[in-house]
Amino acid sequence: MTSATMFLRRRARLSAAALAAGALVLSACSSGGGGGGDGDKQSQGPGEDKTTSANYSIGTKADSAGPAPEVSGAKKGGTVGVLQRDAFNHLDPGQIYYSDVLTNQMLYNRTLTSYKVDDKGRVKVVGDLATDAGTASDGGKTWKFTLKDGLKFEDGSPITSKDVRWGIERLYAPFETDGPLYIPQWLSGDGNAFRKALPEGPYDGKHLPASVLDTPDDKTVIFHFAKPHADTPFATAMPNIGPVKAEKDTKQKYDNAPFSSGPYKVADYKVGKSLTLVRNEHWDPKTDPVRHQYPDKFEISFGHQFADSTRRFLADQGADKNAMSFSNAVAPEMTEKVLGQSDTKARRFVEIQPYVDYISFNMDRLGDVRVRKALALAMPNGQIVQQMGGATAGLLATNYLSPAMDGYRPTDPFGKKKSPAGDPEKAKQLLTEAGKVGQEIVYAYANTDVQQKVAVVVTQALERAGFKVQKKEVDSNTWRTAIAEVKNQFDIYRTSWGADWPVSSTVVPPLFDGRQIADGAQNYSHLNNSKIDAEIDRISAIPDVKQAAPEWQKLADRILTDEVAGVPVFYNRQFSLWGSNLGGVKYHPVYGTADPTGAFVK
Amino acid sequence: MTSASRTPSQTPPAVPSGAAEGGGPAAPEGRSPGQLMWRRFKRDRPGVVSACVVAFFFLVALAAPLISKVYGKDPTTTYGIDRPGLLNEFGYPVKPNGGISGDFWFGIEPTLGRDVLTQLVYGIRTSLLIAAAATVLCVLTGILIGVTAGYVGGRTDYFLGRFIDLLLAFPSQLSFIAFTPVVYSLFVSPNKETPTYLRVLTLILVLWVLGWMGMARLLRGQVLSLREREFVEAAKVTGASPWRIITKELLPNLWTPILVQSTLMLPTIVTIEAGLSFIGVGILEPTPDWGRMFANGAHYYESDITYIFFPGLAMIAFVVAFNLLGDSVRDAFDPRTAR
Repeated sequence: MTSATMFLRRRARLSAAALAAGALVLSACSSGGGGGGDGDKQSQGPGEDKTTSANYSIGTKADSAGPAPEVSGAKKGGTVGVLQRDAFNHLDPGQIYYSDVLTNQMLYNRTLTSYKVDDKGRVKVVGDLATDAGTASDGGKTWKFTLKDGLKFEDGSPITSKDVRWGIERLYAPFETDGPLYIPQWLSGDGNAFRKALPEGPYDGKHLPASVLDTPDDKTVIFHFAKPHADTPFATAMPNIGPVKAEKDTKQKYDNAPFSSGPYKVADYKVGKSLTLVRNEHWDPKTDPVRHQYPDKFEISFGHQFADSTRRFLADQGADKNAMSFSNAVAPEMTEKVLGQSDTKARRFVEIQPYVDYISFNMDRLGDVRVRKALALAMPNGQIVQQMGGATAGLLATNYLSPAMDGYRPTDPFGKKKSPAGDPEKAKQLLTEAGKVGQEIVYAYANTDVQQKVAVVVTQALERAGFKVQKKEVDSNTWRTAIAEVKNQFDIYRTSWGADWPVSSTVVPPLFDGRQIADGAQNYSHLNNSKIDAEIDRISAIPDVKQAAPEWQKLADRILTDEVAGVPVFYNRQFSLWGSNLGGVKYHPVYGTADPTGAFVK
Repeated sequence: MTSASRTPSQTPPAVPSGAAEGGGPAAPEGRSPGQLMWRRFKRDRPGVVSACVVAFFFLVALAAPLISKVYGKDPTTTYGIDRPGLLNEFGYPVKPNGGISGDFWFGIEPTLGRDVLTQLVYGIRTSLLIAAAATVLCVLTGILIGVTAGYVGGRTDYFLGRFIDLLLAFPSQLSFIAFTPVVYSLFVSPNKETPTYLRVLTLILVLWVLGWMGMARLLRGQVLSLREREFVEAAKVTGASPWRIITKELLPNLWTPILVQSTLMLPTIVTIEAGLSFIGVGILEPTPDWGRMFANGAHYYESDITYIFFPGLAMIAFVVAFNLLGDSVRDAFDPRTAR
């Protein structure tokens, strides 16, 4: 893959609990105290991680046929409440990228392909609007999708290939900036250059030529890419590769009133406050392999901090019994309470997300590879995870790729599993060899209470290894911009990255391609090595995703051991809890959230 | 400062040598007002108790290193991380009641596993140092500007008054947040850590700059009413210099509001400082800080309520004691306003 513009989907888990200390003390008693510590909670806590690469595959035509298999015990009717912390930033499928809205769009937006998750957590890419996951020809440069019969919009009008074309072409319009741009860039050019192909989108009557995007009849969509792209079925599962009806396209206003193709439609949307989705009577379950239509309504409301939503799910009173959250996690400070309350067992999960946290090394400033190796060895991964919330918040990482990636192997070049607190002796030895004992390291961190504590353990570990640490706190609102500046004055800083789909072509190139160093880009460590770049090009050109997967892992390990552009710290985990009267809530391994498409009110 | 309303509602004793008043048995002559005040204060039991409590806090703050040495722990070592078996896998103390044990008398901090007692003692030290310094500066500035404005009057009074208005109009919390990063970027190179002494100085500075106005306002009002009194006129007629009038005639009459006001100001500044650390612009890790202990305690209270217990109790005791002390001082100076 080439220069895909990608964004961090992960949001900092900040929960601001502002409580009057006095009141707390008055209510305090000696009931506090913490658990066993002998691991018995571990067994009932974090479950088995279903997110492994072996669980990903591309589905067949039979997998793509509707209806979705019935959820056992499912009933129709009722209202599901959804508690979310942040207001949705977009409803327009063309603008959607963050995990909360990605999850939400599944309810009202259908795409060419989609992810089908079975009850064991295995993921198949299947045809959603299309009859299968696409047919490649011309060495992977041409992809053909055939639409199913009986597809309808919320007004009953049929969905045709013209609507899909319109949905893709409107991504070229200047106001569509926030969504993933894989398909338009593959069709018409990297970066923002693709917009020149259709500067106003389809709105002034112009369309992409048939040699680029062809719709020979009402049922067929054909992509002609400039280069082969083996992972096209994943890219067409992004929310913006779906149908938009031209007459209903209100451009920017579409963001508040999208026209539904899925099982639910927007009934009422108060921007920043609430969203109500009701049944779409024209959606036909026989065409849909992924979604169900059990509840009558979804009532989504915003502004619920993690602590609030956790408290409400724990109390499990009244309407909260029928409530869930897409992306609100259990507040880290309440983890023990949730695990300790036995009735939550059937209504929670802990799963690995596709997001990985790194400490990136600024290679412009840290020129000596031995110093970077010493840093990697000394980094106290286990202690950092503990500051972030412990076992339910993250799993110690040993290499750059997440276990969710196709081709992942649990390589551990710096022995992180064996010494989760880092290996100061070995690091010191390396530093002594390099003659750099006492080397000053500028460690930048976002000024939040959790990151302040992470800074304490990082500083302590690095100083034990013979470094001198200069901590620089950066305002958490400007943090992203500050570290994404190429000329930043910091040596090491925390970064995080989430793959858009479980193929490492969405991880290695953006993070380590030297040609992608730019302000705001994700090559945070400024690794610029032409040999690595050439290797990236070679693997990107492999036409079979499955063949490329182990190669990506090898390249990522080579970067980790030889270049040491940064050190992986932990894999994020999602810890979700919901009301006792809901069934069918499951984990969505690709979005890293709770999947509402099979949820029902008991 | 919001406590201006708590100042004496009546004018202080008008004449410096007004020794005849007071509830007790007829006192033999020759006692200064200060001695009288001290006698009255000693009889006020809550006042004496709260004075002891306040003194205890200052003692603890001063003796923090000593306490740490005798107790055998220090506030920065992460015991819970370094020693296995103290924290469980979620970062909470394994033992009940926040990990209180013979080793850790007040328990250990969740996630970082530091000792709560030494954290608290050193945190009190940080907070009291900042608050005491800021209070002294605020009081001195308040006296200087308030008395000048009141005594000189006219145009000087007008401009000083408008200047005070201007500063009072600043939203103090927001100004702190906006001001501190500017100071740091002015004085610290971009790849060096901001030293703790600079953070402390900056905090004292911002607390001072936006904290003295209440005192100045109050004293200006007092001086305005005093300077028309007979004893001041008499001093003027005898040719006393303004300096002598201010120091010998006015100031002795102003000690009551000054003392009362400053005993109320100090706990307020302690809580403001705690608030600043709470929102993250005050003192950062790893310097121990009382306010930040609350911020953390508010996060952990669901799983570990003991952690907020000791800092909270200490803060309540301190603020209540200091306020009671302020009341008692006022009563002792001015027995006519009996509670």
